[in-house]
Amino acid sequence: MADVKIRRLHKRFGTVSAVRGIDLEIKDGEFAVLVGPSGCGKSTLLRTIAGLEDVSNGEIEIGGEVVNDIRPCDRDVAMVFQDYALYPHMTAGANIAFGLKARKMPKAEIEARVKRAAMMLSITQLLDRYPRQLSGGQRQRVAIGRAIVRNPQLFLFDEPLSNLDAQLRDGMRGEIKRLHQEISTTMIYVTHDQIEAMTLADRIVLMRDGAIEQQGAPLDLFERPATRFVAGFLGSPQMSFLRGKLVRDGAGDRIRLDGDGSALPLPRERKLDGTSDGMAVLLGLRPEHVTRAQGSPREGFVRTEAMIELIQPTGSRSYATFRLGGEPVVAELQAHDVSRPGEKIAIDINLRRASLFDARSERAI
Amino acid sequence: MAEELWTSEMAESISAGVITARVPRRRTFSEWSDRHFKWLLVAPASLLILALSVYPLLFSIWVSFVNYDFTVPGHAFIGLKNFSQVVFDGNARWSLIVTAILSFSDVTIEFFLGLALALVMARSFKGRGLIMSILIIPLFISPVIVGQTWTLLLQRPWGPTDFLLGRLLGHEVTVSWLTSTPWNFFAIIIADVWQWTPFMFVILLAGLTAIPPHIYEAAELDGVGAWRTFWFITVPHLAPMMLLAITFRLLDAIKLFDTIFIMTGGGPGTSTYSASYYLYTIGFAQFHLSQATAGSWIFLILTAGVIALLVRRLLRAEPS
Amino acid sequence: MAATVHRRRRKHPVPVARILVLGFFLILMFGPLYWVAITSIKPSDDFLAVPPVWFPAHPTLMHYTAAMFSYRGLQALTNSLIISTAATILSALLGTPMAYSLARFNTGGQHLAFWVLSQRFLPPIAVVLPIFLIYRRIGLNDTHIGLIVAYTVFTLPVTVWMMFAYFRQMPKSLEEAALVDGCSRWGALWKVAVPLAAPGIVAAAVFAFIACWTEFFFALILTSRNAFTLPTVFRSFLGFQGAQFGESAALSIVSLLPSIALGVLAQRHLVRGLTLGAVRG
Repeated sequence: MADVKIRRLHKRFGTVSAVRGIDLEIKDGEFAVLVGPSGCGKSTLLRTIAGLEDVSNGEIEIGGEVVNDIRPCDRDVAMVFQDYALYPHMTAGANIAFGLKARKMPKAEIEARVKRAAMMLSITQLLDRYPRQLSGGQRQRVAIGRAIVRNPQLFLFDEPLSNLDAQLRDGMRGEIKRLHQEISTTMIYVTHDQIEAMTLADRIVLMRDGAIEQQGAPLDLFERPATRFVAGFLGSPQMSFLRGKLVRDGAGDRIRLDGDGSALPLPRERKLDGTSDGMAVLLGLRPEHVTRAQGSPREGFVRTEAMIELIQPTGSRSYATFRLGGEPVVAELQAHDVSRPGEKIAIDINLRRASLFDARSERAI
Repeated sequence: MAEELWTSEMAESISAGVITARVPRRRTFSEWSDRHFKWLLVAPASLLILALSVYPLLFSIWVSFVNYDFTVPGHAFIGLKNFSQVVFDGNARWSLIVTAILSFSDVTIEFFLGLALALVMARSFKGRGLIMSILIIPLFISPVIVGQTWTLLLQRPWGPTDFLLGRLLGHEVTVSWLTSTPWNFFAIIIADVWQWTPFMFVILLAGLTAIPPHIYEAAELDGVGAWRTFWFITVPHLAPMMLLAITFRLLDAIKLFDTIFIMTGGGPGTSTYSASYYLYTIGFAQFHLSQATAGSWIFLILTAGVIALLVRRLLRAEPS
Repeated sequence: MAATVHRRRRKHPVPVARILVLGFFLILMFGPLYWVAITSIKPSDDFLAVPPVWFPAHPTLMHYTAAMFSYRGLQALTNSLIISTAATILSALLGTPMAYSLARFNTGGQHLAFWVLSQRFLPPIAVVLPIFLIYRRIGLNDTHIGLIVAYTVFTLPVTVWMMFAYFRQMPKSLEEAALVDGCSRWGALWKVAVPLAAPGIVAAAVFAFIACWTEFFFALILTSRNAFTLPTVFRSFLGFQGAQFGESAALSIVSLLPSIALGVLAQRHLVRGLTLGAVRG
């Protein structure tokens, strides 16, 4: 168990910068998820922590020790790879025991640990099989078993669930979460899937183009995104963005939408520090904040009539797309709502919870 | 996934493991060798090549500028005399011509025969695997044995060739395949072609099978005839492979020695001296070693350009 | 009516051409081999027969015994076996790590790769002359070791390049898993990469062996009474006296059977071996 401190980390491949100036601190026992679109540098960052890539600049500290010059095998970290990376010429049991054998642990101890890990992951009956005889989910468990059995101070996961199909992924996600609850070792997990990030993380580190866009607890990033990128990345379906101008004359703050000039009054509670009249802004609306109108209009909400263009039912709820100010917005409807495209319905928009961004800097207001 | 029993044991071993699992950092040989790993891996092979290829070549440069001759004592520096002896030797020039004739004929015939074979074997059919195994057999036979075999077949008066040809053509055939020009050229070419056509065949076949079939299907739907399909689809796709095969084979063919040694002994006289054979006689029959060395350097320089081109082409083929 | 006739005609010619061409090549290929085979078992009188004897009435094995003993074929066979095996092992031992280094780390960039690869194309005469002189000085002429070392260098380029292509298409993640698990780079190489590359190593070894087994020029120059290999024995058959047909044929058969057998077994990797990995079979 150890904390991880990363200072001013840079990693270049030739002239291309994969990681630029990252400062990151992960506390002992935390489950940190590095998430972001492809090419954002999350895997590269993970690999430098593992020692599989050299560092161009900066320092990596694990458990209080600077590990830049320490080989992967000496860093006491374990890694679970996307393609499982099981040694095909060894049985599952031999795979799991491999690291322990490499460290010359006594045979009895190795056997005991392997047995315990196998029991924990329900793969005891698979120990004598070869990887090619195992299914994807089973292979992943063996890979996790190989990591657990070493009791490392740090676990690293490189998109471990990407190769599994959707159902298996859901199940494995839960098991990884439970694993962390039980052994509370520091874990760093890389994924491009924001659902995995949201459900697994104690701390999300959202990366973009080699730098950290925002980090913090999942709900923090979700409800208070620092930039438009973060807001658009987390949450499914994606947040809808509307372009407009902020109007701050004496007659109350509102947003005039670029699309059709219609104005949306902003609730008084909203802090608008650092803004000016006429500033270009982006209004971000999550589907759950755009719902079917009910009862009388509430404080902070805007009621409007919407012509449904598209309905996408997902079983538990339906998502309706309509136009506001000329631009598409997604509203969340109840599952049993039988509205159809072409119909007009009344919509309540929660402007209290909506996000506002400076259109130029894309930072939150 | 968890069992109560396991959890507590696991927790215990975690706390115990914290002390023992961390491998203490050692400034050991292992770390040093890991840091220099990639160089240590290439070192032994590189050293061997340096010792047995680079060093001998450098040494031979010295040899070619001195007098190194088993029939003449001492190693005096004699400048370019060795080189001029080779350059002005009629046999040397003739051997270059022989080499050119033989290698170009070889490669050309092998190419067309190999291409025909490849085209015929391109599509899958019953027994193709077996036939494939049979067709590649000549590649694994020593060239001297190939030469020996064709000597057996061609030599007069007991080889069956003249007899069979006589039967075929209706009149008696009395060609001295090994002892008269130009038949001895044909003999050598036949032996070489017999051995190396499969080389061309295998490479061209690999190239053919790499052409995506849907290109042919599209052509067939468009109603393109067989000849046009070949000329405008197959050939362009196959061109790089053809070039590779021809260059490879050519570079090997110009070193021609074994078959000449065993079939004609360079004769009659010096009529079938290839460049390698010529240098061999100078060096090991006449023991004018420095002259032979000078000659082989000339030969090397002549072929160096083509070698460099081929090697660079091969390297480019690797996705780095 | 005309349309169906036309269509039927399109499908026919191809198999016929194939049968003709293949038949031609197969006859052309088997013919000489057949001749050698029966020559090796013909009684000596049959050699001088005109018209030629197509199948001997009284086949004999005496040429084989003569070839093995009077012509020291057995000794040559043993030498070839020792030398080829040793050179092959050395070549694999030295070439595989180099190939790994080139494949994983691009060691030495283009230059090292170029240098190693170009060794394959050097004219033997240019190399063997100075080696002969050097060996004379250090007493390695006509020794097994001398030829073994020379053959190792001679087969290294092909071994390296075949294994290079092989390692390239092996995913790195297995070695990385081993590194994180607790192996040094050496451990990852020997415990993971090499076992997985075993088929490639075997194939490269087979081709190296065949190359050594069939090589003539180096053996001719660098050996004489002691370390001579099978191909060099054919020197004794120069200047045919007719009486030697049987022995030379017998020796040919003995010599070509092993290399053909090996070659056919490894043919899956043939294209990669012939083109030094530039072409995937």
